[in-house]
Amino acid sequence: MKNHDDEVIISYFLKAGVIISVSFLVTGVLIMFLKNGGDGVTLSQLSSYNYAYHHHIDSARISLSNIPNGLTSLDGLYFITVGLWVLIFTPITVVFIGWVSFLEDKNYLYVAMASIVLFNLFFAMLVIPRYVV
Amino acid sequence: MTIIIIILKFLSIVLGSIIAGFIGSLTGLGGGTVLVPVLTLFYGIPFIFAAGASLISTIATSAGSASAYTKKKIANIRIGIGLEIATTTGAIVGSLTLVTIDKNHLIFVVYILFGVILLLSLIPTIKKIGAEIPPETKPDWTTKLFQLTDSYYDERLKQRVKYHGIRWWLGEIVMFFAGFVSGLLGIGSGALKVLGMDWAMNLPMKVTTTSSNFMIGITAATGSSIYWYEGYINLFIAAATAIGVLIGAYLGAKVLVKISNENIRWVFFAILSFLGFDMVFKGFHLINFIITFSLTMQFFISIAISIVMIGLLYWHTKRKVFADKQGDKK
Repeated sequence: MKNHDDEVIISYFLKAGVIISVSFLVTGVLIMFLKNGGDGVTLSQLSSYNYAYHHHIDSARISLSNIPNGLTSLDGLYFITVGLWVLIFTPITVVFIGWVSFLEDKNYLYVAMASIVLFNLFFAMLVIPRYVV
Repeated sequence: MTIIIIILKFLSIVLGSIIAGFIGSLTGLGGGTVLVPVLTLFYGIPFIFAAGASLISTIATSAGSASAYTKKKIANIRIGIGLEIATTTGAIVGSLTLVTIDKNHLIFVVYILFGVILLLSLIPTIKKIGAEIPPETKPDWTTKLFQLTDSYYDERLKQRVKYHGIRWWLGEIVMFFAGFVSGLLGIGSGALKVLGMDWAMNLPMKVTTTSSNFMIGITAATGSSIYWYEGYINLFIAAATAIGVLIGAYLGAKVLVKISNENIRWVFFAILSFLGFDMVFKGFHLINFIITFSLTMQFFISIAISIVMIGLLYWHTKRKVFADKQGDKK
């Protein structure tokens, strides 16, 4: 990368992503303990791993489209959900910044390679859950 | 009363994750390699949930420590993104394999695989102990085409180290397997990424560990989204591990830039060999294969085997270093 500020920008993005994510996680955990669970599940059900495993109390039952509702009704589990998804998106922004900076450098080989990485990421996120599994 | 027990349960997972994150960040492994065995062996968490919590927390380790490394400009982002083509593809294939294994109730296979891969990942590490900067090699055609030449400032050697990577194609092949293992076992598979850059591409150890740390996040993000929809993520466990691993990674990153590479390698060798043996035993335990020790018994047998193994290898390496020095004098 010719533009050496990219590394600094990436570093800030990573840091910001982690800070936002952790704030949501900590808030979510506190609410979860105060309200004794969330999303219709009690705290003891959530924390008994084998019970949760056999009754499918896991991420699959949390619908991402319920996030706005969950947040406004101060449901701890939805705060945790947002925290975890921010975490998933954090490294993706880094690839995106890399993509932009390769484009600025006219380094088209690496623009193509970063595009493939981004394609894979969105394939895993949008296509596989709906059509493959 | 129960709420206090649950809070303590939560905090104990946080504590375990801090330790896992610290070791993970120090070694460039990404936390998960330590976290999955810790969660399954010591906390009795089902493998699926351990893998889910671990993989998503691995992103936190990666992002947390990578933010420190990239600023110091040790990690090579260009080489990292190039190799991510293979790791993300591998992660997709790996996670789908885990889904298939889980649906067919063959999870014991994953335990054994986990242990074996852990132990195998130690071999390349032991072999190169003591080598801070890789041996000189001639650039090949991929060096120029994929722009693998760069340099970094080494704080311990107090000089700029110039380097170039070779055999980019071999790096990509190893990275596919690294991604596959990451998706299959819910770990960052930093050891394999290090192998890809250190052994295949002949990059310096500092560049390798820091770049791998940054790449782990992207690989884990791919696997995590598939895990999410499959329901492998228990929010209670994942929230605890993400927070804990992050704290551990932060502490680890503070230490990493200050210590020598040789120490890094011995630390991860010692802990991993124990966890590796214990995971294999646990896999056999699940299907009552030949040996069915109690879990405590397994624990002590694993400790004993790893102490003997590390002791022997440490002695062997030290003797070799000593012999080399004697040879130099003559």
